[in-house]
Order: sequence, then C-alpha cells, then structure tokens
Amino acid sequence: MSRKKIISLIIAIVILGVLNSMAIISISLIFSDGKTALGITMVILVVLIDLVVLNPKYYAFRYMIPAMILLLILTFYPMYYTFEVAFSNYGTGHLFTRQQTVQKLLTEYFFVPENSQEFDFYIYDNYTDYKPSDNFIILLKRKSDEKLFLANKPEAMAWDSEGDISLAKGVMAPLEKDKATLKDQTFITDYDSESGNIVSFESNNKNYIYFYSPQDQSTKANAPFFYSEIRGKWLKNVEYTGDNYKLRLNANTLFTTFITSDNLYGLINEIAEEGGRVVQKNKIYNKKTDYILPEEEGYFIDKDENGQNFKVAGYIDYVGFKNFIQMFTDPKITGPFFQIFIWTFIWAGLSVLFTFAIGLALALVLNDRNMKGKKIYRTLLIIPWAVPAFISALVWRYGLFNETYGVINRFIIQGIFGGEPIKWLGDAFWAKIAVLIMNTWLGFPYMMTVSLGALQSIPSDLYEAASIDGAKPRQRFQKITFPLLLVTLAPLLVGSFAFNFNNFVGIYLLTQGGPAIAGSSTVAGSTDILISYTYKLAFEGRGQDFGFASAISILIFLIVVGISYFNFKLSGSFEEVNR
Amino acid sequence: MRKWVILLIAILSITALAYAEITVWSSENQIPALEKIAADFESDYGIKVNIQQVNFGDIKSTFLTAAPAGEGPDVIVGAHDWVGELAINGLLEPIPYLPQKDEYFPVALDAFSYGGKLYGVPYTTEALAIIYNKDLIEEEPTTMSELLGMATDIADDEIVGFVYNVGDFYFSYPFISGDGGYIFKDTPEGQDVYDIGLNNEGAVAGGKLIKSFLDDGIMPQGANYNLADSLFKDSLAGFIINGIWATPEYRNVGIDYAILPFNKITLDSGNNPKPFVGVQGFMVNAKSKNKLEALEFVVNYIGSFDGQKAMFEGERRGTAREDLFNVIKTNAGPELYDVLMFSESASIGTPMPNVPEMAPVWGAMADALGLIINDQDTVQNALDSAVDKILAQIE
Repeated sequence: MSRKKIISLIIAIVILGVLNSMAIISISLIFSDGKTALGITMVILVVLIDLVVLNPKYYAFRYMIPAMILLLILTFYPMYYTFEVAFSNYGTGHLFTRQQTVQKLLTEYFFVPENSQEFDFYIYDNYTDYKPSDNFIILLKRKSDEKLFLANKPEAMAWDSEGDISLAKGVMAPLEKDKATLKDQTFITDYDSESGNIVSFESNNKNYIYFYSPQDQSTKANAPFFYSEIRGKWLKNVEYTGDNYKLRLNANTLFTTFITSDNLYGLINEIAEEGGRVVQKNKIYNKKTDYILPEEEGYFIDKDENGQNFKVAGYIDYVGFKNFIQMFTDPKITGPFFQIFIWTFIWAGLSVLFTFAIGLALALVLNDRNMKGKKIYRTLLIIPWAVPAFISALVWRYGLFNETYGVINRFIIQGIFGGEPIKWLGDAFWAKIAVLIMNTWLGFPYMMTVSLGALQSIPSDLYEAASIDGAKPRQRFQKITFPLLLVTLAPLLVGSFAFNFNNFVGIYLLTQGGPAIAGSSTVAGSTDILISYTYKLAFEGRGQDFGFASAISILIFLIVVGISYFNFKLSGSFEEVNR
Repeated sequence: MRKWVILLIAILSITALAYAEITVWSSENQIPALEKIAADFESDYGIKVNIQQVNFGDIKSTFLTAAPAGEGPDVIVGAHDWVGELAINGLLEPIPYLPQKDEYFPVALDAFSYGGKLYGVPYTTEALAIIYNKDLIEEEPTTMSELLGMATDIADDEIVGFVYNVGDFYFSYPFISGDGGYIFKDTPEGQDVYDIGLNNEGAVAGGKLIKSFLDDGIMPQGANYNLADSLFKDSLAGFIINGIWATPEYRNVGIDYAILPFNKITLDSGNNPKPFVGVQGFMVNAKSKNKLEALEFVVNYIGSFDGQKAMFEGERRGTAREDLFNVIKTNAGPELYDVLMFSESASIGTPMPNVPEMAPVWGAMADALGLIINDQDTVQNALDSAVDKILAQIE
C-alpha cells in the first residue's frame, strides 16, 4: 500500500470513529428517552454506514448512503411511527409514557400529614477567604414552640441528565445545651453577648456564621448567593430526616419555610391474573389513604376527600384496534362518511378534469406557430401556480367570493348581469362551485406546463402525414394529439387525482369545510373532504387525538394506494413503463 | 493546535460561568414591562431572567411540543383558556400560594382555576364593547332597539349602520348570553360540560336578534373581522363591536369614536348583553427544573401590586387587581378612557370557559351562526344541531 492510501484510510477511520462515537451517544440518549423505534432506525443506519466504509465488498454502494439515510429517516421511520401511534391513545392528556408518569407521581406529589410542623430557617455559612462558600448548616426553628434544630449540608443522592441534583438528603437534630450532633460532628453554639442571638456555630475548627434567612430583611444582601449557590444547588430537592420528622421546603409559603411532608404516592407490586397467567404489575397507591389507584383509559384515577373520582395524570397506552374500530362503528364518524367519500371523489375528479381541460386548451393555443407573444402569455399564465396557495386562497375568500363586497358578486353578478348576489360561501351548492373554481385556477398552470412539454414530444411528421391525408384540425387533435398526449400524461393525471384527493389546503383555506349542513349533528361540512374531516375530528374536538388521526391517515393512505393502483392499471401506465 | 487549545479553554470558561436562569416566553407587547420586573428579580435573587419573544399565536402550540420533551421555557405568558388543555397534559404547575388574593378580581382568578387549583397569575382582563363613530351617531343609545333604529337611520348606499364579525362566536356571544344562554352550567364543583345552554330560550332569542341584523338590512352579508374593521376605519360604519386592541388604530386614522360598554346598553328584556372576558397571565411549566424560582418570580414579582402596576404601565389594558384598578381610576386622565370603558364592559362579562371541552364549541357555534346568518336553517334548529355536535365531540 502506498503512503497516500494509508493516510487516507487512517483519516477515513478517524472520521468514522468520531461519527460512531457521536452516534452511540445520541442513540443511547434516544433509547433512554423511550423512543425505541427511532433508536433502532439509527442503529441500522450506523451499521450500514460502517459496513459500506469498512468492507471493500460493499464499497461500491457508498453512493447510496445519502439516499438510504433519507429513505430510512424521512420515509420508513415516519411510516412506522404513524403505525405505532395509530394503536395508541397518544394525544391530549396522554403525552408521557407510563414510566415517566409513574416517576412524576413518585417524586413530585407531596402531602402534609396531620399534626404537621412548620419551621423557619436560618442559614449559617462557612466563609473561606472572606467569601461565602457552599459549605453551610441550617438552624431550624419550630414555629409551634420555637424549639431549635440543626440540619447539615445535605448529600446528593440522585442527579438529572444535566448533572444537577434531583434528590438530596440531610439529617437534622435538636439543639440541646447549645450543642447538636449531626453524623458524629458536633456543632457548638456561639451567642452574641448583647442581643442573645446565635451568631455562629463552631465545629472542627470551622466557623459557620449567620448568613441568610428569608424571614430576616437585614440579610437581604446575601439573598443572591443563597438562591443561586445554596438553595439552587442543594435545597431545591432536599429531604431532611431526624427526630421523627421528614422535612421539605414548603410550597404553601413559597419556599420560605420548611414543613413536614411526605410523598403522596408510592409504588407496590400487585399480583394479578391475566389470561390465565400470573403477572406482576406495579401499581400506584395513595400513601395518605392507602387507596390503590385504578387505571382507566390511560389515566391514574384517585379519589378526593368527598369520594369523587378524579384523573391524576394520564399516560400513553396501547389501545389495540380501538381507533380503527371507532372509525367504522362510531355513528358520529360513520354517519357523514359516505357523503364525504362521494364528494371527495367528485372534488378530485372534477379538479383533474377542469385543470386538465383548461391547461390543455391553453397549451394548444400557446403551441400554435402563428401565436404572437407566447412568452408573455406563458409567463402570465404561470402566475397562479407561482403565488403560494394559502395567499391566493385568502384573496379568493375575502376579495372575490365575499357576498356583499366581493368582486364577483359586486361587479360581475350584480354589476354586469344585474342578478341577486350569490352566497358563495354560505350555501352548500355554491360553496362547492367556489372551491372547484379556486382549485381549477390554482391547478391549470401545472397542467398547461406539462401539456406543453408533452406536445413538443409528438413528432411533427405525424401531422405532416395527416395534412397530406387531408385531416381537419379537429381530426388531428382527436386521432394524433390527444391519444399520444395521454400516453405521457396519464400517470401525471393519476398523481394529480391522488394529490387533490388529499388537498387539505384547497378546502380548508377557502371554506374550512363549511358551510355547515343544516340539521346535521356531526362536524362534517358541505365541502369537507376526507382529509379535512379527519383534521376536524382529530384536532378540533376536545384537544388533540394523534392516535385517531394516525389511524384515519392509514385508512386514507390505503384508499389512495388502491385508487392509484386501479388507475395505473386502467390507463396502462405500468405497461408503458415496462416497455 | 494552539488555536484549538485556546478555543477549548474559552468554551470551558463559558460553561463554568453559566449560572441558573429562568426563561420566559412572552409576546411583544409585554416585554418592556417584563424587562423592568426581571431586573428587580435578578438583583434580588442573582438569577437571570431570560425573556424570549414568541408570537402570541405560537406560544401555546410550541409549548405543547417543547414542554413534554423538557425543552420548554420555565414561564409562559398566555391566555386563560389554555389552562384546561395544558393542565390535563400535566404541563402546568399549580400556583401553591398567592398573597393578597382578595385584591384580585374574582373573575380573573376563576379564569385561571381548573379542577380547584390555580394555574396562573393573571395580570390583565379584556372584553369586547360597542364602539361608535361620533360623527355619524350623535346620541348614545341605551337599548339595542334604539341602537338598531339609529343604525337604520344613518345607513345608505355606502354607509353601514352596524357591523361586526357576526359569524364568529366570540363576537356574537354577548347577544346569545344576554337573555340566559350559557355554554357550560356553573356548578359548585366546576363547570358541568354536559349541561349546555346554547339552545335554551335565551340563546334562541339572541340568535333571532342576530338574524334580524341581517334580515333588516342593517348589517351587510359576508361581514368578517377585517371588513368590519376597515369599514369603521373609513368612517363608513356607525357601530362596531371590537376590543381594546383596535382603538389605537381608530384614533390614528382620525375617527372620533366613543365606547359604549355592554353594561350601559340593554336588550328588549332589560338584560345586558354579556361579553366574554379574556384574562391573560403567567403560567409555570410543570416540567421546568427551575420551578421554585419560576414560581417566586411569577407570584412575588408579577403578582405584587408593583409588578402589576409595571405591567399596566407597559401595556394599558384592564388590570386583574382591584386595588390597582381603583388607584388607576381615581387618577385617570382622558388617556385612560379606553381602558376604563373596556373594564366596565368586562365587569358584567363571563370568563371564557378554560376546560378543554371548550374547543369544539367554537366550531359548532360558528357553524350554527353561519346557518342562521345565511338563512339556511331556523335559529332553533341551528342551535340544536350545534349542541348535538358539541355533545358528540366531548363524549
């Protein structure tokens, strides 16, 4: 091997090593986040990349890597994810995994037991080099009888993913005869001779000086250090135990005192029988009432003081085919389904027909040799396509179709024809016409462009032969232009049909699916197509229902695949491609 | 190589210097006032408040995506009707303690309460009112009939008597609720979402009143927000229903307007139309690592009299604290006319429900209003269908 080759190999391996180590870190994070499917996708990708780079046999495939990455991340993973979500209740109220929710219940819910005690606190700090340090102790004063206790600097027990302390534990002991012993360390009190206040504690030749208390305005200058260095790091999630107490910062005084408190929820294992098998299930129970929380529809349900059930927290649950069954059995969904299905076909079909007819007609005109100023016309005719659909939809909605002030009613219907104003967006029939008009306007430039291209590809000798045979222009169009055009354009028409079948923007921006159907008790409006109806069901109901939306989108996907396959078969496009 | 070493040291020293900070997502208007309050907090606590500007319309949706992933801000400034959905998702931290609770308007605290817990510190309330052009309308009407009579009198080919975004439930609600229409029944345990009063006698009377605006030719067909607003700005409309956000623009274009709060006008029955009250406030992210600091900031610095005063001075909207309102009222000059009038209108309003079940109400009622306005169905039938739709969606 030449030196050059060795160097380039080393560089390749180093780059690969860096990439791999980065990948391992991110994959482990993804897995710990509970996103198994994405993790697996990433693992497959990394293995593929390594194989291709390291194994000479697969080296030829290296140009496929970018395509493979895109395919896996942007196509296969979203498909898999949609599939996974379709079998879950993911949505409003169910955003976290059960594990995350259990963790939250175990660590973030507290209750104050009966005969609770509240304590004022005073921080004493050990200065080093005349500066405060985060070596401190806390003097606690029981509010009921002013009895004093001392608490040490807690020890960190758990950290979060960013390295901050998520649980710290410390001990406390009563101050007796000016002394307190915490973990074999004795602290001796030093009083101010005049005021009689405790000014400092002494232990192992270290001096802890009175530093801060939220109750004492005179120590306010030390507040920033206390909040950022002492409380921010050590006391946020602290738990002090000793003398039969368990103390935490008291939320009900906004953390200016300590109070006896305990975790509200605990974990127990319950042995249950499921389908003849004995399984262990971890259950949450309320420590205050010893009530084991039942779980219904992905919620933990607890009882309040009046015995009323309430939902404590929800989690993402596997619901099997529930979303699919609901789709076919729930009358509020199935009721208007047939009507919407028919309209979706009409909408997609007519959209293709109108855009194609107008586009082709314009293309034929523009293709005429005698036509002057082709370029200007072509440019002007492309404009509807160049303007973003959501902008032109708003212009149509507010500027053109408005009943009183819209251009169409005011200047054309009333102005020129003297007719009654048309309820373009308020009447079911006219709203359908309105969406079709707008969609045709948006879509014909595309059809015109592709037709222009296809017209160029028709050999001109066919026309010469036809004119020698004495064929009229109409016959030429019928026998030569149209059949040959269709060969090229049929797949595009099928594609256009599939696109319009799911053309959410075309409907939603103009009419939002409305107007409402009189007397109907479902959300479906007169111009709703399947996809806009789905959107309403999933996202405009009570919050968001991603599970149900995914299930419907799988159904729509299957419908579109079926239609497209049928269309391709019918138009013979497969054969053309194979030939 | 040396460059790398220097860079590495620079990075390390930056991370070593990083100290705790809380992040607030706020829309543009509140930021100047917030910066002042944040500076006080910073000097007292030694914790930086990082204020990020997010479009009001994007705060809730972005928060819903970011917060579950642990990426969200510690505090958001938003509307009370987000509370139900965010709380049920476990994304809002209850406010455990709010000093001087009695000094707040009860409607503001109710608006931020869900399931018996307070989920935000309110700072402003707002409600719609009727605004009229003094050049076209000479005398202030005291009843709706009077108003409609005046509107008819001034109308001609160009000028419209009375116009507002009639197809939108938010704008038409005052008439629906005036004679007893309600969305969800209030009970001692909160709102009963299965008891819907949008097709009762009062609501139907309101629907008929709205229909009469169009049937009698007082209001043009196809009125929407922008149309109504621009007609009023061009001095082509006598009366409009709009909120406090619209008046600066009216003043700028030179319209001599007056505000007629809903408590000063009655329906035929003698009742006042009741507008929705929208409340804005500060909410704390339940997934935040800096919950303690965020709660302290929100309760002690935003919730205090001085904090609320600073917020008011930054953006002159109706305030959520009664004691502050009284101070403002006694010292008010003509520049506070708008605020006081809209606050009066809010005083008889009902807070927009904050339960997640409210979401389908908007669509269903927009459908019903569309049917009524376009004469596609009777008022009773249209409202019955709306209630059926809402019930079907919240079950």
